[in-house]
Amino acid sequence: MKEVFSMWKDTKMVVLVALSAGIYAAVLIPFKGFVLIPGITEFRPASALPVVLGLLFGPAGAWGAAIGNLIGDFFGSLGIGSSFGFVGNFLFAYVPYKLWRNLGMVNKDDMEPNLKSSKQIIAYVVVAILGSAACGLFIGWGLELLGMVPFAALASIITLNNSIPSIILGIPLLIVLYPRIKKWDLLWTDILPEEDVPAITAKTRTGAIAMTLLVLVGLIGGLAAAVGGGQALLYSGFASTAGNQMVVIIAGIGSIGVLIAGWMQ
Amino acid sequence: MDMFLYLDNDTFLHRLDPRTKMLVMLASFVVALMFYSLPTLLGLTLVIVLYGMAGKTLGNLKRIRFILLMIALFSVVLWSLTYGGPTKILGPISTEGILYGIVIGMKFDIMIISGMIFLSSTKVEEISLGLVKLRLPYRGAFAFATAIRMVPMIVATSFTIAQAQKSRGLDLDSGNLLERAKKYVPLLIPTIISVIRGTNVFAMALESKGFGYSEDRTNYLQISIKKGDYAILFLALIVITVSTYFKFVVI
Repeated sequence: MKEVFSMWKDTKMVVLVALSAGIYAAVLIPFKGFVLIPGITEFRPASALPVVLGLLFGPAGAWGAAIGNLIGDFFGSLGIGSSFGFVGNFLFAYVPYKLWRNLGMVNKDDMEPNLKSSKQIIAYVVVAILGSAACGLFIGWGLELLGMVPFAALASIITLNNSIPSIILGIPLLIVLYPRIKKWDLLWTDILPEEDVPAITAKTRTGAIAMTLLVLVGLIGGLAAAVGGGQALLYSGFASTAGNQMVVIIAGIGSIGVLIAGWMQ
Repeated sequence: MDMFLYLDNDTFLHRLDPRTKMLVMLASFVVALMFYSLPTLLGLTLVIVLYGMAGKTLGNLKRIRFILLMIALFSVVLWSLTYGGPTKILGPISTEGILYGIVIGMKFDIMIISGMIFLSSTKVEEISLGLVKLRLPYRGAFAFATAIRMVPMIVATSFTIAQAQKSRGLDLDSGNLLERAKKYVPLLIPTIISVIRGTNVFAMALESKGFGYSEDRTNYLQISIKKGDYAILFLALIVITVSTYFKFVVI
């Protein structure tokens, strides 16, 4: 995770954070009125961007997604949920680029995200779903903790709302953008000095596996506990109130665990 | 097209330190989250509206009225259909559900209005400097402020690209909402490319002006906590203390 902080030394990465955030916010803002959960989320075609930005710009894409979401909230929905939205959207881009490198789904000598092989496309779909789930898990946990929105409804809606655009729109977007970004030497692995790009080791592989398991355990375990506690998935979940202790614990372990697993990579 | 909420007035609220306004906004979030009672939330709304009036910022309510209305409406519809409760009115709709929907919608609208007042009375540069004074690293604050400034430019770029494609015969105006939205998706790619293309030049321009040369930067804009800030912070502290007392001791 050291590149998440060391990247701020590089001016080009700082510029990429600003541009990524600006693009994400510019696509988020026009859809602010298309409310899905009042005050929390809306119809978001912009969700196609964080995974793509993460894979291309690495930590700069992750910070860009976090800041871009916060700026989007500035245009009409700034609230306590914005703090969880900041971390959730950071994870939405961070988890995919970390797992892409460390989970072992793509060949070590073909790691750049050009999506030229079916293996890379499958890897993209997997990391996009896990990134979306990490975002849904963290925001769902945060608002359950505050007793604002039931976890089962929110986490399931955010995960779906993020996964669909990031797969359907994200794949063509990445295929078109990659050659240009590569040509301009703007891939994060090309910008950062070699010592700042974490090497792939047994420890990072373990971290990636732990991150995957924690996202799945946090989300699925949290949903199971929520359903067991009387909540329901998607919109039916609004029939119950938030604040289930077991959900807070299980989803909390997943949420905090994902961040800790990030430190291992 | 002015996308920003900032209103250039010379009022007491505008002259407050951005850190004070951030803390007042956070305090309003905390109080809004604490209570589920309609009269309490109405009281909080009144306080926030008076605070906004002090800065002549309530004109922006018109600009966000669609979002406020949609949130309130969706909240009432959603919770009245799903909340349940013993006093049924029609089908699954109950009095308790409607009341809960109103309360939740109100909580969110209060937080959004509070955020709007902050943004209407605080310049982007002040927010950025306020964050730096709150110990956020300068480069993070710079990226944040630059991103906010980029948004209108990116939107303008997308309009230019849309106009260029229209002049080549692309029909963006026919079809239903979904069909029209689908036609805009391909325009996203040239917009992103035209924005990202400038990265190298942008970075060189920054470095040529000494970006990152020294950690101890000086700023043209100066902010400081003054008497008025202390008075407002003291009032916010009283509100938080009284709310906490009522929440955890009285109720």
